[in-house]
Amino acid sequence: MNNEIAIQAKDISKTFHVTEDSHNTVKHRLFNLFNPPRKKDVQAVKRLSMEIYKGECIGLLGSNGSGKSTLVKVLAGVYPTDTGYINITGTTMLMNLGVGMSHELTARENIYVSGSVLGLKIKEIDALFDQIVDFAELREFIDTKIKFFSSGMVARLGFSIAVNAGADIMFLDEIFAVGDMKFQEKAVKVFESSWIEGRTVILVSHSMETIQQYCKRSAYMRKGELVYFGDTKTAIDMYLADNN
Amino acid sequence: MLLRIVNDWFLRSNKHERLWLLAKIEFKLRYYENKLGLLWALIKPLMDVAIYYIVFKTILQTDVPAFASYIFIGLILWNFFVESTTGTIQILNTKKYLYEYSNMNKLEIYTSTLLSNSIGFFFNLAMFVLFYNFFESVSIGLNWNNLWILLLFLNLFLLSLALSLILSCLYIIAKDITQVWQVFTSLLFFLSPIFYKLSVFKGALPSFDYANPIAGIIINARRVMMEGLPPDFSLLGWDFAYAIILLVIGLGLLNRLGSKAAEKL
Repeated sequence: MNNEIAIQAKDISKTFHVTEDSHNTVKHRLFNLFNPPRKKDVQAVKRLSMEIYKGECIGLLGSNGSGKSTLVKVLAGVYPTDTGYINITGTTMLMNLGVGMSHELTARENIYVSGSVLGLKIKEIDALFDQIVDFAELREFIDTKIKFFSSGMVARLGFSIAVNAGADIMFLDEIFAVGDMKFQEKAVKVFESSWIEGRTVILVSHSMETIQQYCKRSAYMRKGELVYFGDTKTAIDMYLADNN
Repeated sequence: MLLRIVNDWFLRSNKHERLWLLAKIEFKLRYYENKLGLLWALIKPLMDVAIYYIVFKTILQTDVPAFASYIFIGLILWNFFVESTTGTIQILNTKKYLYEYSNMNKLEIYTSTLLSNSIGFFFNLAMFVLFYNFFESVSIGLNWNNLWILLLFLNLFLLSLALSLILSCLYIIAKDITQVWQVFTSLLFFLSPIFYKLSVFKGALPSFDYANPIAGIIINARRVMMEGLPPDFSLLGWDFAYAIILLVIGLGLLNRLGSKAAEKL
């Protein structure tokens, strides 16, 4: 770990305006000019600041609906923040059930597109290509469109791209919860093979063991609020205390 | 300063490779998914030329010389414009997989799609040059002024990019921009001198060639490709000004509305 900052978030927050019936056509908007739709504001992430250093592995804890996934999307630059600012140094990649892949493209094309989006040059992808294919165990289906793949195959491909290509900053949102046993074992093995070293990783998980094992610092969220950010053990204790 | 940014952009990052990769894949998806493949890129404008030729030359007896080439060049420019605007209204929806999981710049998605359309355009332009020079009896042959087409195309590219940005960002808040734009383009089609004789067009709609940037680009394209003249510079200036003003608006919208695409679409 060094002192270079990978993500600097200052006073960020995110509120979703949920409308009961969405007026998203011109006609609808015109006819309902004086009758605005009923709005409900959902504060998914309340004002918070955090700094994440390069090479750190940060755990993110919280019960369902506490704003973890929203925070991850804001930190990754997928959602714009409502207040404050956020500085991201490098490419980010968000990984939950898969990575961004087009079902209209073949596995080969998806590897190249995803790799490129993650900031690799074509030559670098060429070099990694076999590794990605073999890890995903999809050699026979490499030129098949992934819309014909089973969901397990898509997940394997996504995981393989993420693991082998990888962005500078990786957000792993419950990746251990998907796939069959074999897949999960593989995911864990990757983590154990020191893959995580030297990368900036934000790990969202309900598995305390995983977080305790890999993360020095953790954040605990409750109802959109960042309750604690620091030592992992304290964060886990707070989380457990709240849930018992 | 500017040079350094451009240099960074091209050499140190993989951005130009990525743009080209996305453009190639887009092009492949469009043309190689069907039986005739790339031939469609040629057949479509040729069929259109044939239709307008029959209507305007055979039935309405227009007296424009080299009329087939006259419509051909107009149509390939027009088709690029329509494909790049109408065809990209839902781009933030269809290309969601590219920006939903990473912090990739959305502008690259637009540029790569337009680049893919450009491949089709230049293919058609090559066909036009062959057709005009070998089959058209009144052809004046190749000319240095032909090269102006590159600048005219840049103008069209920027204009299409600008409208594509504006339309697709508006799509996030108003889905029926698709229908509105369809009506507008068919109006614009008939208000552009694609198959009218230029003097008739100018007589009926005075100074409209200045109000409609597509008209200006088509008029200039014919000057440089068919008449061997340099473009009408005041028209060119106006059309670039339109493109740049719209581009500024488009980029503003992308910043304000486009950044919300991941959560709204």
